[in-house]
Parts: sequence; C-alpha cells; structure tokens
Amino acid sequence: MTILSVKGLSVSYQDKVETRSLLEDATFDLGQSEILGLVGESGSGKSLLCRAIIGLLPSTKLSVTSGDVVLEGRSILGLEEKAMMDVRGRRIGMIFQNPTSHLDPVMRIGDQICEGLFRHGSYSKQDARVQAIELLTQVGFPDPARAFRSYAHEFSGGMRQRAMIAIALSCEPEILIADEPTTALDVTVQAQILELLLELRKKRGLSIILITHDLGVVAQTCDRIAVMREGRIVEIEEKRKLLSAPQHSYTKTLIASHPSFDDHLASRALDDDIVVEEPHIKPIFEVDDLVVEFNAGKSWFRSKAAFRALAGVSCQIFPGDTIGIVGESGSGKSTLARAMIGLTPITSGDIAYDGAVLTLKRDQALRKLRREVAMVFQDPFNALNPRMTVEAMLREVLETQGEIARNAIDSRIDELLELVGLDVSFRPRKPKSLSGGQCQRVGIARALAVNPKVIIADECVAALDVTIQAQIISLFKELREKMALTIIFIAHDLAIVRELCESVIVMHHGRIVEAGRTEDVFDNPEQDYTANLLAAIPNIDPDKPIGTRTVARAIQGN
Amino acid sequence: MLGRYRFVLFRPFQLLPVMFGISVVTFILVRLIPGDPARVLLGARSTPTALAKIRAQYGLDEPMITQYFYFLKNLVHGEMGRSTLYKIDVLKLIATRIEPTLMLVFFAVLLSLVIAVPLAALSARKQGQWPDHFARIAVTAGLGFPQFWLGVMLIILFAVSLNWLPVSGYGKSFEDKALHLVLPCLTIALSLSSVITRSLRAAMISGLNSDIATAARARGVSENTVFWRHVVPNALVPTINLLAVNIGWLIGGTVVVESVFALPGMGQLLVRGIFSRDYMVVQGVAMVFAVATLLINFLADILTVALDPRVKF
Amino acid sequence: MAQTRPFFPQLKWRALMSSNTTLTLGFCILAFFIAAALLAPLVAPFDPILQDASARLQAPTLLHPFGTDNFGRDVLSRVIWGVRIDLQIALLGVLFPMIIGTILGTVAGFLGGIVDTILMRIIDIVLAFPFLVLMLSIITILGPGLASFYIAMALVGWVSYARLVRAQILVLKTMDFAVAAQSLGYSRLRIMFRHLLPNALTGSIVFAMSDVILVLLNGAAISYLGLGVQPPAAEWGIMVAEGQGFITQAWWITFFPGFAIVCLALGFSLLGDALGDMWEAEV
Repeated sequence: MTILSVKGLSVSYQDKVETRSLLEDATFDLGQSEILGLVGESGSGKSLLCRAIIGLLPSTKLSVTSGDVVLEGRSILGLEEKAMMDVRGRRIGMIFQNPTSHLDPVMRIGDQICEGLFRHGSYSKQDARVQAIELLTQVGFPDPARAFRSYAHEFSGGMRQRAMIAIALSCEPEILIADEPTTALDVTVQAQILELLLELRKKRGLSIILITHDLGVVAQTCDRIAVMREGRIVEIEEKRKLLSAPQHSYTKTLIASHPSFDDHLASRALDDDIVVEEPHIKPIFEVDDLVVEFNAGKSWFRSKAAFRALAGVSCQIFPGDTIGIVGESGSGKSTLARAMIGLTPITSGDIAYDGAVLTLKRDQALRKLRREVAMVFQDPFNALNPRMTVEAMLREVLETQGEIARNAIDSRIDELLELVGLDVSFRPRKPKSLSGGQCQRVGIARALAVNPKVIIADECVAALDVTIQAQIISLFKELREKMALTIIFIAHDLAIVRELCESVIVMHHGRIVEAGRTEDVFDNPEQDYTANLLAAIPNIDPDKPIGTRTVARAIQGN
Repeated sequence: MLGRYRFVLFRPFQLLPVMFGISVVTFILVRLIPGDPARVLLGARSTPTALAKIRAQYGLDEPMITQYFYFLKNLVHGEMGRSTLYKIDVLKLIATRIEPTLMLVFFAVLLSLVIAVPLAALSARKQGQWPDHFARIAVTAGLGFPQFWLGVMLIILFAVSLNWLPVSGYGKSFEDKALHLVLPCLTIALSLSSVITRSLRAAMISGLNSDIATAARARGVSENTVFWRHVVPNALVPTINLLAVNIGWLIGGTVVVESVFALPGMGQLLVRGIFSRDYMVVQGVAMVFAVATLLINFLADILTVALDPRVKF
Repeated sequence: MAQTRPFFPQLKWRALMSSNTTLTLGFCILAFFIAAALLAPLVAPFDPILQDASARLQAPTLLHPFGTDNFGRDVLSRVIWGVRIDLQIALLGVLFPMIIGTILGTVAGFLGGIVDTILMRIIDIVLAFPFLVLMLSIITILGPGLASFYIAMALVGWVSYARLVRAQILVLKTMDFAVAAQSLGYSRLRIMFRHLLPNALTGSIVFAMSDVILVLLNGAAISYLGLGVQPPAAEWGIMVAEGQGFITQAWWITFFPGFAIVCLALGFSLLGDALGDMWEAEV
C-alpha cells in the first residue's frame, strides 16, 4: 500500500539574475513499511527532494514549480503552514547527517524528546518522562534514565544519532526521512545504526526514505533504490534488479565505482605488478615501539591526563610497497603518519627513514624526509593555500627544493599538471575555482613536485564522491607504476584499501591489531576486531546482511 | 561535587600572575614619572619630615626591586598612599566614590539589554524587512556616536530645553540620585546597545539558519517556539562573552560620562587626579578598575558554564 | 561529505551586490572627508583660530552656517580644519597597533611554547586594565598631547590585533595546507609570512575597519577630557568641551563637531561592513 507518493516534483532556484532548475520531475511512491534508498553524489538534489516533501526548502529563493506530494491520498504540498506543522514530525519525521549540529547543545536530551511528545501528543509531565525513557531504551541506550538527563556532547557520534532517532520517534511518525544518517560515523557504528533502523521498521511498521551517497548502504538495507543525478531520478527499481541489471549508464558507473568486496574486485589487486618483498630488502621506514602522547590539559591545577594516541607501534615498510593503514576514527592511523614524517613530537620509541633515525639526528633525518617523502591530505580544499594559484604553489615547492634550474621550472610545472591529468589552463586558477577532485589532483601534483620516493596519503579520498574517488585511486595506481613509488595509504574505508594496497596494517586504540598481505588479512582475519570491521562494511551485494551481532558487542565499550 | 564549577576554586590562583602583572604595571607607571618620587607622591608643597617619612615607607632610597616589595607590602596592608588633593587615604577616597560608578554601570547594562534584546529579536526574525533595516541603520550609526557628545546633546534636549531632568551632579536621596543617573545611563546604554544588538542579531540569525532550528522545524515545532526555546538560549552565551570582553570599554565610557555629567564617581576621580597630578589616586583607581575587570570576567565565566553545558574551564 | 563548498554560490553573489551600495556610500563619505582635509585652506571660509570679539556666540547664519563660538571663531571653518587632526588620529592610531599586533600575533601563534605564553600573559595584563584608563595613565606620564596619544595607542592598542591574529594562526596552522607546507620542508619564516599571515591578514584588516571608529571616538574623547590635542587647535573633541559651557545659549558649538564625528564614523562603518561582506564572499 502506498503511503506517500511524489508526483513530478520540480524545484527551481530563482533570483534577479537567473532561474535554475535544481530538481526536475521527481516521481516515486513509498509503500507502507518500505525502505526506499535515495542514492546520488553531492549536489544531485537528494536532500533537496526530501526538504521539498516536508515543505522546508533551505532558502526563500527556492520554490516548488510543479508537481505534487500526496500523503495517504491527501495532497500536502499546498497546505498552509499551520497544517503543515502537524505533518512535520507527526506524519513525516526526519533525521540528519550530523547529529552534533542538529541536536540542541544546551537542552537535555530528555527535554528534547519531551518537546516532541508535548507537541504532537497529550502527555502529563510524568507520562512524558516515562515515554521518553521508553524511547531511549528502544533506540539502544544502555542507561536510558541517565541519557534522559544528559546533554548531546556527553555522547559519542553513534549515540547522538540514536538520540536524534529517539527525538524523531517521539512524534510517532509514519514515515522517517533519514538524510545521510551514518555518513559521519565509523563503519561498525554505521552498521549498528542501520540495524536499528531495520529493527524500527519491523517493530513500528515505519516507512523509511534513506538518503545516502553509499550504494553499499542502500543495497543492504533498502527494498527499492532510486538513483539521482543532477536533480533527476535517473532510475528507480527493486534493489536486486537495479544492482544486477542497471539500465541507466550513470547507475552502471556508480556500481562500477563502488569499491566493494566482490570477488572479481578482490582479484584486481593481485593483477597489478607487485614488487615481491624479499627478506634481504632493507625497509624504507622502520617504526619501533612508537609512543605518541598528547597532553590533554596544561593546567597546574588539573591532573595531566595524557592521551595516548599511539601506544607502542612497530612496523616496517618496504620500498615499492603500497601499504594501507586502516582503522576507525581515533585509532591513531593519522598520528602514525604524521609522526613518520616528523610533524608530531614523539614521546618514546624510534622512527627510521632509509637509515636516518628521526629520534637521533632529527635535523638531518628531517631534511632527508622533506626531500623524499610527500603527503597528500584529506580535505582537498583545506590542503591548498586559498590565496595562491596552482602555479604559485607548484613553483614554490620547486624553488624551495632547489633541484631544478630556475628556467626549467616552467616546463616542470606543465609536466606535473599533465602527470595528474590536469590541463595547463589550470595554472592561474585558485583553489576556490576548482572542484574537490581537481583540488586533490593539485595536491598530488604538489606532492610529486618533490620527486618523492614515498607518498603518504591521509584519507585523501574520504571527502570525495565515489566516481571521483575511483578516478583518484586509478591515478594512484598509474603513478605507482610510472614512478616506482612507495605509497602509504591511510583510510577508514577498507574496500578502497583492498583495491589499492598490497599489504595492510589494521589499527585500533593506538595499537596495531593485525598486519600482513591484504588478501591474507581480509580473507582470513586473525583478530576479532578485524573480522568485525570487515563484516561492518556496507556491501553492494544485497544478500549479505549488514554487520553482525558480534560487532555490536565489540563496540559496547565505546 | 562541584563538577564543571570546580574552576571557581582554582581560578583565583590562576589570576595571581595577572594580578601580579597589574601591580607591576601600576608600580612602574608611577615610577616613570619624571622628578623626585617622594615629591611626586606627596605633591610639590611638602615638608621635609613628610618627605623623609614617605621615603622610609616606600623605601625610595633603595633599588627598584626593593621598592617594589615595599609597594607590595603596603598594598597588602591596604595602604595605597594618600591623595595630595583630598588629603585622605586613597582607599577611603575610592570607597566614597564607588557607589555612583557601580550604579551607572549596572543600570546602563540593564537598560542596554532592555533596548538590545527586543531590537535584535525583531531584526533577526524580520530579516530583510523594514524593522530589520531600521535596526541595522540605528546600530551602524549608534556605533559611531561619541559618548561625550551624546551626553551633551541629551543634556541640551532633556535638561536645558525640556527641563525634565537635572543637568549634572549627583543627589542625596535615592530619588534624587535616580533622577541624576537617568541621562548618564542613557548615554552609555545607547552606545552599548548598538554593540549588543549587532552581535545578538548575528547570533540569532545564524541560530535561525542553524541545523538545530531545521531539525526542530522538521519535528513540526512552531517558528515562535523554535526561536524562544532553541535560538535564544544558544545566542545568550556569545552575548555574555561580548559583554565581558567589552567591560573595559564600558568602564572607559563611565570615565568620560562621569566627566560630562560631573558625576562624583571613580572615573571623575581619575580625571581630576590626572589634572592635579595626584598620582596615588590615579594609581589606586587604575588598580581598582583592573581588578574589577578581572572579577567581572570571572563572573561571566561562571555564567557561561551555567548556561552552556559544553563549556569547561 | 566533508565538502566545504557553499551549496548555493549565487547567494554569496547576491550579498556582494547589495553590499555594493554600502561600499559606494561609505567610500563617498570618506572621500568627502579626505577632500575636506586636503583642501581645508581653500574651502574653509574663515581662519579656524583667529578670534573675533565682535562675532561671539552668533547663531547659524548664511555667513556662519554653523554659527560662531565664544571667541567669535567660525564653527564651520573649525570643523573643516578639524578633519585634518581627527582623520589623522583615526588612521595613525590604528596603523601602529595593527602592524605591531599582527606581527607579534603571527609569531606567537606559530611558534607557541614559551614565546606564546609570555605574550599571552602580557596581553592578559594589558587587557585587565580598561582601555581608556590605561591610555589616560600613560598620557599622564608622557604629558598631554598628540604624540603622547600615539605612543599610548601603540602601547595599548596592539593587544587586540595580537589576540585576534594569534587565534587565527592557531587555527590556520593546523589546517592541512600549513601542515603540507611544513611537510614540504619550507622554512618557518616562509610558512609564517607567506602562507599563514596572508590568510590571517584579512581578519585583521576587517577588525581594523571597526577599530578605526573606536580609535576616533577615543582620540576625540581624550581631547575632550583635555589630555589629547591642546587648544586652540581646531579638534572636534576640544570643540565639544569648549562649547559645553555655553549649552544654554549656543547649542551649535557642540552640535556640529560631534555630528562630524558621527558622519566620519558612519563612513568607516559602512566601508568596513562592505569589505567584511566581500571578504566573507571570497573565502
């Protein structure tokens, strides 16, 4: 039975200068207790579509130009504000990507739930409290009474998302719109939240629209999938059909770009030329019992609770290797990378790069490191000086390195741009006129300008759309072959690591849990933690269940 | 269990270095004045016996460092020297002048909040409409009003032309005092409220556009409730911090306004002290103002902790 | 997705369009005052200092559009000549603290450690004193006058800039582009002044645009109190002080110089707002 149907909905942006269509002719039905996945890259209009449904367009310059939204046989599009307020929350609830910014920081969680209860139901103060605690139990708070009196900042990201779900449920909606609810979360937590949504659907008969950029997330949770691009729904189909026989070319690209754990993909890494490491090759990086601590407080009056980012890490990295360092947020993977390149002070232990010990002859080792090791960063916009042109950035590196004659710098800049697949016309442009993928390419060109032996890439594709992600990954593969680079690839996305890397290090709470050749670790993980991590990865195969119960248990302590 | 309020206990100790710095600065300021320090402290016409006594009390014949310790010792004993103009102890003198200044600051802040909060709320909720334009013009102009001139203009309007309120001075009875305080408070409040309105409006607008507000609207919460229950509480904290940051500016305002209205407060005492070269008074008033600034910032921190559960010191 | 792009770049463009009126208006007001300052000898109808006992306390007429003061001096001419002093007070009074504060803030924020701690303590101490009180105390020692005002301003005013710039540098230096610069082996000086400072400078300039108003008001207030520019110079603060004795008979002596301050401040305010908006639109 159809509960909500959207018919030919179009939204356009209008100001004095121009009129632009941002959403065109969106049509879909949502059935009772159905989960519909809405997939698309950033800017595809998927969030806008949902905002249009509940009549909360993000700007007054946006307006619905045509189409209709019908909720249980009644059009809600032209409803006046007062009537619409009874639809929002009560009929259609919504949860958002970033629970931290969507929860009121100065209001107790319990009060925020009660606000919804009072607004849409008639409760006495006492009943509301009982009901709120019941809701908190339902969404999985171990101590709901305490959670009731707590503030949002006292919880982890996953728990905040649960709180937001509880607040949405307080209005007892029939439909829940979940706008990228797990994007900001670690994979294992993501799996738990998705499981919670499935459970709620089962218990309450909730219909859910799940917006996401990750095809894996919808493949495992949704009944049907709608693919969006540039404001249009290009394809909408039952998920198995869509995944196995995509009709639209964009859907095909999206499926192909998804770094999933399919068997044929797994073998892809093996097809690449692998420099087989032999025992007599000297490691290029040697890390020995590395400890890095950050001082939490600097006050004389408070106990100095030092935070241990790395608690005794030892590893070896061989030249020509492509090694992935994986782990969830807070596992210490970025700290390890930064310590290796001498950007983070070391508390104890040793790091040696190609024989130069960083802890002994710091200046000498640093000079060598800066010449031979380059870094690529996560946020492509953040990593480039916003006031400098592409040319100025590359020129600066080349001049500082001083290895190329001044008159050869110009041609070297062109060469570098070509290497990362950018046109010469990019030279005078500043970062703000570049797209995320282009910025990341400039970042890579800047890293290559040093003529490095090693590239450390810190989550360098995490902020990019999947299709762009795939492009950057193939750029890395290409460069590796061309230049015999050693690549240290830090990522939370295990699927990408599997695709690119020959060996992998798994980190958790500042320690290495497991290390070895990628296929060994991923196919036969020795540690429970690794197994859980792998099980939590959203898979494009709809027949694999999301997460496992063991995952939930392992993370309870979090 | 003090929890997040634990800083109340150790903050005074943390402030010690700053207090120390304040004492050093005021000490140096007076020592930098050219001429015989004993004469500087006692005034031009002073007897040899008095000069000898002051030299001993402040160790003026000894090295700078020792002199500083004498100064500190005197300070700890509540000894801030004598006013050459009023012929009494500086501390006692200041005590008689605190009341008008305190009243002025308190009521000026109160009045500016009474003006700023509704104005900012109106402006933020009617963003881009005429109440907003009016408020923004008023604020932009208000920031540029010199207080000494605004004070004189208010005197001309309300005291000279309309004859509603006294021109200057301070009264004896409570009502008399209140009447004398109206124009000075208004002068300060008009400029202070521009500053507050500006920041409050910005905080409220960003609150109205925030994810918190969107999430509340998506739950069917009415626009009024969104504003008063979610936007306003979140906009209060930055406003309190703004008031605390501006307390020094506010005190500077009282110095000027007290001079304009001949209000016998600490600001007027300071200006008189400067003109009559009554250095001990200048030193004492500067020190009291500095300590007051620290205290008010401390209070603002406590208030911030009370209003925002995330804040920890 | 951690994309830092605005979703609707056109909205920013709209903001820029509307801020253009503010920009034009602010620019025109300032241009008017600067022209008055440069052309004072040509446009002022009378000598600003010459006393005329026969023309005391005259209400505004065609001959004296702003009236005359108690010495028979033409208020209009004095207001025009006053632009020279007050504009100078505002501009120089901002320039010195801004340069000192920006450099110290950059160095302290970037180097951190003991340098930073010492600087922050000094800033704490200076900020503990109410701004005007410390200014007045310093001027007491140096003796009244414009030079003392500038010295006191440089000694006290830099702290706001240092604090602002330091805070920005602390954020900027953890941003990836700064870490990248470090990982590429650039020298500290280069990172500080080529990469970090230019990004923090806009904030400092925008702050200066609002600070210039405060400096103008403070400078005039100090002169009003009798500790800045000395009579018989034509300065707006002094003119208000001199006119205050005659408010029952001659409102115009106090009204016009103060009004000039309000207009000049408005010009700075509009220009500052417009520049701030443009800066926001750019980043």
